[in-house]
Amino acid sequence: MGLDTPKSMLGSRNEEPGGELRLGDIPLSQTVELVRIDLPTERAEPLLERGVLPGCRICPVRSSPTGDPIVSVDGSLLALRRETADCLCVRLLSDAS
Amino acid sequence: MRDLSTKAGDATLTSTQVENEIRSPLIALIGPPNSGKTTLFNRLTGLRQKVANYPGVTVEKYVGQVQCDSERNVELVDLPGVHGFSARTLDEQVTRDVLEGQVEDLPAPDAVVLIVDCTRLESQLMLVEPVLKLEIPTLLVLNMWDELEERGGSLNELELADLLGVEVVKTNARVGLGVEGVKEFLSQVEVRESGVPLPEHVLSNVPRGVPLPMIDAFTARRRHLDKVVDRASFVSPGPAESTNALDSVFLHRTWGPLVFLAVVVVVFQSIFTWAVPLMDGVDLLITTSGEWLASRLSDGWFRSLVIDGVWAGVGSVIIFLPQILILFLFLGILEDSGYMARAAVIADRVMYRVGLQGRAFLPLLSGYACAIPAILAARTVEDERDRLATIFITPFMTCSARLPVYALLIAAFIPEGRLLGPFLGYRAAVLLGLYGLGIAAAVVTAFLLKRTLLRAQPGSFVMDLPSYRLPSARSIGLRLLDRSKIFLRRAGSIIFAVTIVLWVLTQFPRTDAGPPPIEDSALGRIGQTIEPAIEPLGFDWRIGVGLVTSLAAREVIVGTLGTIYGVEDATDDSITLQETLRRDLTLPAAIGLLVFFAFALQCMSTVAVMRRETGGWKWPILQFSYMLFLAYSGAFIAVQIF
Repeated sequence: MGLDTPKSMLGSRNEEPGGELRLGDIPLSQTVELVRIDLPTERAEPLLERGVLPGCRICPVRSSPTGDPIVSVDGSLLALRRETADCLCVRLLSDAS
Repeated sequence: MRDLSTKAGDATLTSTQVENEIRSPLIALIGPPNSGKTTLFNRLTGLRQKVANYPGVTVEKYVGQVQCDSERNVELVDLPGVHGFSARTLDEQVTRDVLEGQVEDLPAPDAVVLIVDCTRLESQLMLVEPVLKLEIPTLLVLNMWDELEERGGSLNELELADLLGVEVVKTNARVGLGVEGVKEFLSQVEVRESGVPLPEHVLSNVPRGVPLPMIDAFTARRRHLDKVVDRASFVSPGPAESTNALDSVFLHRTWGPLVFLAVVVVVFQSIFTWAVPLMDGVDLLITTSGEWLASRLSDGWFRSLVIDGVWAGVGSVIIFLPQILILFLFLGILEDSGYMARAAVIADRVMYRVGLQGRAFLPLLSGYACAIPAILAARTVEDERDRLATIFITPFMTCSARLPVYALLIAAFIPEGRLLGPFLGYRAAVLLGLYGLGIAAAVVTAFLLKRTLLRAQPGSFVMDLPSYRLPSARSIGLRLLDRSKIFLRRAGSIIFAVTIVLWVLTQFPRTDAGPPPIEDSALGRIGQTIEPAIEPLGFDWRIGVGLVTSLAAREVIVGTLGTIYGVEDATDDSITLQETLRRDLTLPAAIGLLVFFAFALQCMSTVAVMRRETGGWKWPILQFSYMLFLAYSGAFIAVQIF
């Protein structure tokens, strides 16, 4: 798809030492924190404008009939494509934080 | 902040001050999509609003008057809903230009009303910071306040006002709560002092001159907002139960697509079945008024121009008004209720396969009524390449102007008879086939475009899913009124002009006895000139003339053929027209003609809208040639096969 070689990466790379989690792998109702957006700036902008920023909390709430994720961010419902969700690096919220 | 008026108390009146007194204050209304912006606009202005286009682009400009009290009026401009100021879309560009005073026929606004959906405050407030850079009085409207409270959220709005340095009003625009507060703000706005330079290029997602990567700019802005919202004791509302419940049906694995199909079927039914009595009514109105007018005018060239030219030509287009209004009624309901966003999500996968995106679904659906509103609706497609591709394939959707042509030719050439038991006759099958042909051409074209001229990496599709809401009859009614005005204005200008030109071409060169027989007229000669080109398709000069006149609007060919074959009234007596057509056209040529109309861009209004929407002649010329090529080769192949 050409998505693996974005022109620039947004966010810092070294937050997740182990295997990287993608939003697409997160089960429904599990809130996670966004770490990094692996998309060129131009294509990340629509996400950024809607509050999908590193550090924000995202929760997949349901799956569309075509299997694409519908997530909740700051009380807004957003529909993403699987391909986009796979470009969002996330981490689980540890109980300590 | 609002002491500008006191300075104008000098004894000498300069010319600029006189100017200021003439112009009423202009206030810009902005906000993210689905924040209730247009509902508030309609509440404030009611019928005192005008819709036009911004110069050079087809983004619609809504300006309305708000009567604050008996002697004071202010102008309110409703800007397109935007999430930011990246100028990535036409809507964002226009919003930015208006706010910065860069639009020709609009002064820079004297104040801003920023409306947000306060149930999702943090992300909606991202527009505040750039707007404050304009340094003009700003009102923050916290809309959907009732919903915030119902869902257990809360906010100290006065604290928020203090922290942001703006005035704040709580509203529920849908039922009109809090609108008085907005009016109060509007009534205090003064025309800005002229001579004070406008803030230039202050609006952007990224502060200019700061070499921050965009993401850092966003994050910084967001951190600041989080603090502000926190200090204003914002408690986010609980989940929207009703929206959740409805989504579990509308986005259900099985039910979702079924509801989607049902919606599409209902919209189609409404366009093609329920609109018919209304269209017959309009037709009757035009015919009788034409007859009445004809009886009043003395026989002569003027009567011929008015009745045969203008009345018949403009009338044949106005007939489509009920259909377009019904379509917009449904689209309005679907959009305002929040369902359209879900439909776009369901359609996205299929659209994605052809290289488009879910937002293209709405324009393409509209295209079945008329390509023109459909092309305008493509503005909601955020990605520019996707938008161009959507516009490019929209005319392949079988618009209602093709129906009269299809109906005439099918009735004349395709026998009645059953193809699939009681369900599908030959005629219906041919009609369905023509619809299918359009879809196939659209799919192939989109596929090719996205791999050549509009090649791009797949976009990151993000679709906001607003909460479901009951649509307001008032908002939808006002929008239908706008649509009628726009449609009638076009019928009164472009189509009016074209019908006059066509009429003149049938009248010259004059003979002693008056207008020439049609084959000797300028129009007839045009037909004869292009005859060699269309002979391989089995068309003679008469069809050639029809092809030329139908450039004005597809259905015009029916009337033209009626005139050419000397049939008195082609619509009332189409049996006769059908018989003469059967004499002149072979079955293969008739099928060729059907295929030709399925593909060809026989609509100058579409070309004109294309030019405006794409900002030049490149795309419309390319599209016209491409569709003509498809039409010609398609008809040629059809003639060979059948």
